[in-house]
Amino acid sequence: MANKKYSMVIDLQKCVGCGACAIACKTENNTQLPATGQTFHWADFAFHKEGKFPDLKYASIPVLCNHCDDPACLKGCPEPKALYKTEDGITMYNYRFCIQCKKCYEPQDSCPYSSSDVEKEGDQHTVISFNQVGKDTHGFWRDKAALIKGCTSSPAAIADKAGITPPRAHEYSYNDRMNTEEGQQSRGKGKLADVRKDGWIEKCHFCIHRVRNGEDPYCVVSCPSSARVFGDRNDPGSEVSKLLKKYKPKRLKNNRGEYLKDGEKGTGPNVFYVREFSPAKKS
Amino acid sequence: MKIKRRDFLKGMAAVGVIAAVDGPMLNSLAYAQGGGASEGTWMPSTCQGCTTWCPAEVYVQNGRATKVKGNRYSKQNDGVLCPKGHLSLQELYDPDRVKVPMKRTNPKKGKGVDPKFVPISWDEALNTVADKMMELRNNGEPEKYMLMRGRYSYMRDTIYDSMTKVFGSPNGISHSAICAEAEKFGAYYTDGGWSYRDYDLSNTRYALIWGCDPLSSNRMIPATIKRFGDMLDNATVTVVDPKLQSSAAKAHNWLPIKPGEDGALASALAHVILTEGLWHKEFVGDFKDGKNLFKAGETVDEAAFEEKETNGIVKWWNIELKDKTAEWASKKTLISAAKIKEVAIGMGKAAPNVVVWLGPGAAMHVRGAYSAMAIHALSGLLGSIDNEGGVLATAKIPVAKLAKYDKYKDELAAKHSKIQKIDQRGTKAFPALNAGKSGGGVVTNNTANAMLKDPGSIKVAIGYMNNFTFSCTGAERWEKAMEQLPFFAHITTNASEMTQYADIVLPSTITQYEKMGYVKTKANRYATATLILPVVKPMWDVRTDETEIPWQIAEKLKERGFSNLLDYYTNEFKDPETGKVPTNGMEFTEYSLKIQTAPLWDGKKDVGGDKINGWEEFKKRGMWNSAAYKNKARWGGKFGKDEEKDGKVTTKGTVTHKFEFYSETLKKALNSHADKHKTTVDDILETCNYEARGELAFVPHYEAPFRYGSKSEYPFDFIDFKSKLNREGRSQNLTWYYEFKKMDIGDKSNDDVLQINPSDAAKLGIKDGDKIKITSTVASIVVNAHLWEGVRPGTVAKCYGQGHWAYGRTAAEDYHKAKPRGGSNNLLMPDDYDRLSGSTVRNGGFTGVKIEKI
Repeated sequence: MANKKYSMVIDLQKCVGCGACAIACKTENNTQLPATGQTFHWADFAFHKEGKFPDLKYASIPVLCNHCDDPACLKGCPEPKALYKTEDGITMYNYRFCIQCKKCYEPQDSCPYSSSDVEKEGDQHTVISFNQVGKDTHGFWRDKAALIKGCTSSPAAIADKAGITPPRAHEYSYNDRMNTEEGQQSRGKGKLADVRKDGWIEKCHFCIHRVRNGEDPYCVVSCPSSARVFGDRNDPGSEVSKLLKKYKPKRLKNNRGEYLKDGEKGTGPNVFYVREFSPAKKS
Repeated sequence: MKIKRRDFLKGMAAVGVIAAVDGPMLNSLAYAQGGGASEGTWMPSTCQGCTTWCPAEVYVQNGRATKVKGNRYSKQNDGVLCPKGHLSLQELYDPDRVKVPMKRTNPKKGKGVDPKFVPISWDEALNTVADKMMELRNNGEPEKYMLMRGRYSYMRDTIYDSMTKVFGSPNGISHSAICAEAEKFGAYYTDGGWSYRDYDLSNTRYALIWGCDPLSSNRMIPATIKRFGDMLDNATVTVVDPKLQSSAAKAHNWLPIKPGEDGALASALAHVILTEGLWHKEFVGDFKDGKNLFKAGETVDEAAFEEKETNGIVKWWNIELKDKTAEWASKKTLISAAKIKEVAIGMGKAAPNVVVWLGPGAAMHVRGAYSAMAIHALSGLLGSIDNEGGVLATAKIPVAKLAKYDKYKDELAAKHSKIQKIDQRGTKAFPALNAGKSGGGVVTNNTANAMLKDPGSIKVAIGYMNNFTFSCTGAERWEKAMEQLPFFAHITTNASEMTQYADIVLPSTITQYEKMGYVKTKANRYATATLILPVVKPMWDVRTDETEIPWQIAEKLKERGFSNLLDYYTNEFKDPETGKVPTNGMEFTEYSLKIQTAPLWDGKKDVGGDKINGWEEFKKRGMWNSAAYKNKARWGGKFGKDEEKDGKVTTKGTVTHKFEFYSETLKKALNSHADKHKTTVDDILETCNYEARGELAFVPHYEAPFRYGSKSEYPFDFIDFKSKLNREGRSQNLTWYYEFKKMDIGDKSNDDVLQINPSDAAKLGIKDGDKIKITSTVASIVVNAHLWEGVRPGTVAKCYGQGHWAYGRTAAEDYHKAKPRGGSNNLLMPDDYDRLSGSTVRNGGFTGVKIEKI
């Protein structure tokens, strides 16, 4: 039997640009606040804004790692590669081999959906985020200062009480630090270690921990409009295959909201967009 | 199959993989090492981030809340929440939560004055509150006690009603009128329902969304998000809003109306529907000879028309509509006459499967009561009221009432709890005609004016889950009013703006995670009762605002010789299952909740909807769904109902029992208010700043917008709008709010911007990102400019929410110096009212502003 080929189809007519998927992803995957030009939003948005009052065209486009067939991030990654493809098409990261060379997202020919600094480069989002070497991850939670001394809490005190940083951290097994052997050993008195380690990159992994258990990625199940559909493109009976047959799909070219043109292959992204954010005007 | 992580790791250990402690590992094994599902439990509760009040579930792992979703049984959100739901996790783990009761040690009060809070015990805090309350009783002035209610659950009756009245004060002041009472006014004086409407989006063929973005706010967010994409296929969607927002961006038509001119558009739509003969005959009736006599400018003989379910269609035409052509409205609204006709005809052709979604932007104007009526009247004209694909009332939620407390009022309480309320409701200038009654509704925001006018009127106040100093327009008045209030106890999660004026601060539980209670809600044709349950143990000794704290105050009052309140709570709140008498605040809370919700789970009577077998099952499911609302439930003369009690007939709903275009119900209410003040209805209308005189007062009609500031000095109309991420005013200490602010169309992440059309900006020499000062007739704020084509030239738009000068490290730029992050719209907007409904005004372009680059 052929391997699975995991893909996502996003129906832009159903999407209302509410942002629930992106925030839900942060809760599922314990990502931190933006820092040093890195967003740490595994799920994020690109925007189209055109026209003049009152004839405007606006669209928000949900974005994530495209889990490409021919991923540029993987190309630059030196052997033994930290980035790799699973047999069912997920672009994964094994921190054990990462030497922090940043070749996956910094050079010109690296991931076209990632940015070394979204603000400086004028990009709308970045798929890969890098946890700066020597800098605390989830730095917000290290602050020990209370707003009102003796009366209010502090980030560090809450993290301490929760026994984990961040205090809301969702515990699941993936190669997060808290779930590695190193993490397990550094727990101490029933505490969990931090969920990320400095020097690691991080990105969407299609919620592999859920997919392997027969569940859809968390952004998919958290979408209130059911705009996101996940599945196996090698299975013609799957919902994604049906949608791709029913509608003419588009794929993103970069992290500035541009689509690949007809015939353009790009890096072979496996996230597809069907229909339009707003339909043709009618009376 | 789910594999528990520990078992999985054990399995891995057995095959020796785990021995490779964090060394290099083949990629093929990298995921396998430690890959697996999470362990935890989904527990039901309710999201109170906005007034949708979604039945929700919280994922709890090792006693921590880690994820949130909709309740799996919900027929409204189908188990999925909007972004506000996910944000709530940051509210629970907000580092700036008050963790212990606090006492003010600096007697001086004011904005920017450090209260010098110090931690104290619950005992000391409650003793202080009880002492202050007893002082009032001992002085024979219990009415000088006030309870200010903010976001509530249906456990509210304890703190808001019985505690206030049994103590002896009339002054329970709710926040309701800073929200949207004018909307309810429009519904009540046409269809007889003083409530928000439900909308059958799945079956509609035309949706006219007016003055709100239901994808961002307005009470049924996930249900609307779910249906919007399909609705674009099945219906025509038109959005009336001066600024481009999400539903406008997705709709087939966006009508960027000039702010405040909503009534003009409504009258013109009605005019076109009538002249084109497109009203719904089955509901409204028809001309006796079948010939349409509605011709522009021509009066019609009332006898020529035979009405069915409605009252006064011809009167409405003759008094208001006959001259309100599309061309006339075009000049007011700046929407072309052709477009107005197109929309009216489109709606008429789709009738009765039409949703006219009446939002606060079209109603909360100085004279908004009438535009709300005019917009809601369209649903009558199109026969879409209580109809498939139309505008619906709500199925009943058969909960039980709490026991009456009258016999627990002593003589002092009986007398003083009936004194005129502080907010001046029912006075000549504040009719507040809630459900037909003069003074029936609250005038929340006027309370500050009353307190300032008569500084001795309130001496002791408790507020809970409210922040009027920030959330009310004319916010500076509240700063002054709170400054002069002798004693204030604030029940709150955060040290908010209002807390800065508190003498005692009582830390409260976070709704959805730590509180116990329930709320009622509706959407998608279903009504719901949903439980708020403590799903995690609080990190500190924080307590439940509406029930536990009142119980403990009652105990303290008893210690001081006033036992009536505790007697009421003890005697009348026995566990309905065991008959056990509550002995502490949380037992009291649970028994009260059981008493109220018992009909939904005790099996004594078939109440329809979900069948739930007992209290334990109810707690496990967390919610109850009604059966679907029955279409045409009020057709056949059931828009009103007469009730006779002690020989006196009162009417619930409309006086005529029909859908009223000529509102006999409003006529009666206005006359009764005028009689009370021994004057005429015309005099009342003049006093209350309406234009209508005579018969016009009783029909839905156009009133010119009222505006603060001359066009020459304050050239821009200011528009206030709501964020997708606003958990009311409580999101601003949450970092995700700022990270995803860009999801609000025209806004930017990590910024508080004024949206200004590039053509206007060019004239003022303002570039994108420039720091600007916005000035109204009452105040100035400083924010950044964002040039954006999505606002009408001449109008500027800014989101409500930022501009906190307290609340927390993230919300304020400098908490200790009272320095705000961004600017608060409520400083800019003066306090004024739609006086007929009591509603605070937030919309309709009533605030003129000028803009300067600084």
